[in-house]
Amino acid sequence: MTSTTRQPRYLGDNPRFLAGLFMSPAVIYIIALVGFPFVLAIIYAFTDISTGNPDLEFVGLATFRRVLADPVFRDSLWNTFLFAVVANVLVVILATALAEILIRDFKGKWLVRFLVLLPWVAPVSLATITWLWTLDSIFSPIDWLLRQAGLITENMYWLGRPGTAMTSVIAVQAWRIVPLAAVIVLAGLIAIPKDITDAVAVDGAGFWRRMFQVTIPLLAPIIAVAVLFGVILTISDMSVVYVLTRGGPTNSTQVLSTWAFIKGIEGGALAQGAAVALFLLPVLIGITAVVLRLARRREVL
Amino acid sequence: MPRRSPFVITRREFLYLSGAAALTAACGTGGSATTTTVPTTLAGTGAGTTAAPVEGGPEVSFVEPAEQLSGELKILLWSHFVPAHDSWFDPFAQEWGEMVGVDVTVDHIAVADVPAAIASEIQSGQPEHDLMQYIAVLSQHEPSVVDMADVVQEAENRYGTMLDLTRRSSFNPNTEKYYAYAPSWVPDPGDYRRSLWEAVGFPDGPASYDDLLQGGSEIFSSEGVQLGIGMSQEIDSNMALRGLLWSFGAGIQDENENVIINSDATIAAIEYMNELFAGAMTPEVFAWNAASNNQGLNSGELSYILNSISAYRTAQDEGLEVADDIFFTPALAGPETALVASHVMYNWIVPDAPDVNVAAAKEFLLHYTENLAPVAWNSKLYDFPAFPDRVPDLTGWIDSDPFGSNPADKLKVLNTSLDWATNIGHPGPANPAVGQIFGESIIPVMFAEAAQGAKSPQQAVEDAEAQINAIFDDWRGQGLVGGG
Repeated sequence: MTSTTRQPRYLGDNPRFLAGLFMSPAVIYIIALVGFPFVLAIIYAFTDISTGNPDLEFVGLATFRRVLADPVFRDSLWNTFLFAVVANVLVVILATALAEILIRDFKGKWLVRFLVLLPWVAPVSLATITWLWTLDSIFSPIDWLLRQAGLITENMYWLGRPGTAMTSVIAVQAWRIVPLAAVIVLAGLIAIPKDITDAVAVDGAGFWRRMFQVTIPLLAPIIAVAVLFGVILTISDMSVVYVLTRGGPTNSTQVLSTWAFIKGIEGGALAQGAAVALFLLPVLIGITAVVLRLARRREVL
Repeated sequence: MPRRSPFVITRREFLYLSGAAALTAACGTGGSATTTTVPTTLAGTGAGTTAAPVEGGPEVSFVEPAEQLSGELKILLWSHFVPAHDSWFDPFAQEWGEMVGVDVTVDHIAVADVPAAIASEIQSGQPEHDLMQYIAVLSQHEPSVVDMADVVQEAENRYGTMLDLTRRSSFNPNTEKYYAYAPSWVPDPGDYRRSLWEAVGFPDGPASYDDLLQGGSEIFSSEGVQLGIGMSQEIDSNMALRGLLWSFGAGIQDENENVIINSDATIAAIEYMNELFAGAMTPEVFAWNAASNNQGLNSGELSYILNSISAYRTAQDEGLEVADDIFFTPALAGPETALVASHVMYNWIVPDAPDVNVAAAKEFLLHYTENLAPVAWNSKLYDFPAFPDRVPDLTGWIDSDPFGSNPADKLKVLNTSLDWATNIGHPGPANPAVGQIFGESIIPVMFAEAAQGAKSPQQAVEDAEAQINAIFDDWRGQGLVGGG
């Protein structure tokens, strides 16, 4: 007995056609809005193009040499590293704790879930402007509360001092990304087989032991994905830093994404802006490869 | 065979229906985009602020264009700090278009977004707008814009000589090209709270940087009210600190575009600022944005700022008590001179690209220049003319403010503003290197690093000098900056 494969009668019944059709918007979107500018940035970085002069004169690595010699670039590189690492450590801790809370049943759970997701669904510029007002040098409500509690006598000037400014941008970035990470970790928690948690409970493991010896090892691949998203979002996004501090004071919160914009667009040195923007690309690719590899290995184990 | 529900559709039907819906939506969108004309008075006024045009004032006059015009003229400009200006400007432009046969569209965007918008339009090679305006020099776009020499020449033939201040902010002496047309500008006086300064012996406000240090420190220690000269990475700090440098005999470049930032005069200016910060300011000046000093003055938290009259006009419009307490001073005297940068320097550019309606853009600028008196009036005396003869009543308006100042002669110091205002490249031209240094806020960072104690004044200057030299070298390599 032989089986025959029937050819679809209509184009709309052809799975290959449908697969291409449904994928095409995403592919067009990525090529037009990510791929094309990306290729353009690579080309620009090897020229001396400026915002006012679109002529492409190739200068080899001269633009990169100029960028590397710039002390603000070196500060931005360090700040980017600090910003990404500290913000994402906070994100992992807070997201795991939040997911542990959200998986339990309690009254008003839907409201808590809604409030938790709010920072992620709110437009980033709008949310950051709210923080700009909250951290205002004169009228900060945080300062008011601290003064009422007798903890400070003069304003904190959150965005006016290098240390508090960096703390502020890290905190706001973590606040923004925690909901996404929490949802990812929550999905991982839900996926843990119930027989494992039941067995652990029967064996009499306490909360901390269950957390560190069962839950976190099982969640590791999921947490790795959350970290990957968090790091990429932190390094590639300029909104929080640009709106809160524009890289100040004294470039102490300047990161590569804001410096690329200021150098390339506001300063007019488009080639140098492109070189700054591209600088972390190999690092990001490396991080992505390592994290995904680790996640896959944990899954296999 | 099971009967099919009328509410269930097959995958194929779903696709067909989706396609048809998408096609309909696309056609609908396209149709509305090409046929709907947005009234210019409502078109994108930034944050949605609208204001009634100012009552009275000079009539708009019209001069027949030299040649027959046609087509479209799309104008991009900032959302003016005095909203009444935009309520007047948009119909003004559209009415001109109706008279000369040009379809005019005006798009206002927030001032902070203008540089990126202009850069992207020029980079595209197919700019959306025929005429673009910004409130600071656009010298970096020189290779991609139309030479405005003929507009300047025609305007000078009609209205007399253009101010040297605006010429140096729109003309590159190295290439002998007008990369922009600058028909108006805005002075940058000191704004002070009379009640506070009177109490410490300066009823007319500080006249020198020594007065500022002495009086400002006394007010801060007795009243807890600081003064505000920004050291932040934003436009007002850039302007204010250049004024301080010039008044101390320092500067970024000389008249021949050689870098001169590393000088004893710069060190002296930084040391003065360190003292002023320690005695009369708080770290908030490191965190400011362009609106911060306005907000601080109007909320009664600052005794002195360097700004245009826009903060005061806002206080008036909102009926704030502080409005009657705000008065103005000219540039403060330093050891060498008394100078400040213009608060705003309007630069209008026309992209050098196919399909740009150059003739209409240039004719509109001449019409705008013809009407600099209504411009000044409708901006509530914020905008000043580059051709003073076009606004013969300006001195009288300033001496007796028609917009309700108390006392009426409160703005009179503005009548001397040409004596103490200069361009950002002073004593040289506002070239692309100067513009990039401005955009990257190298000067505010230099002052702030020393004031915070992160660097000695000498070290701060040397670090700034290294950055400035690199930028000048870049632009000299493109032939747009002289010296070296």
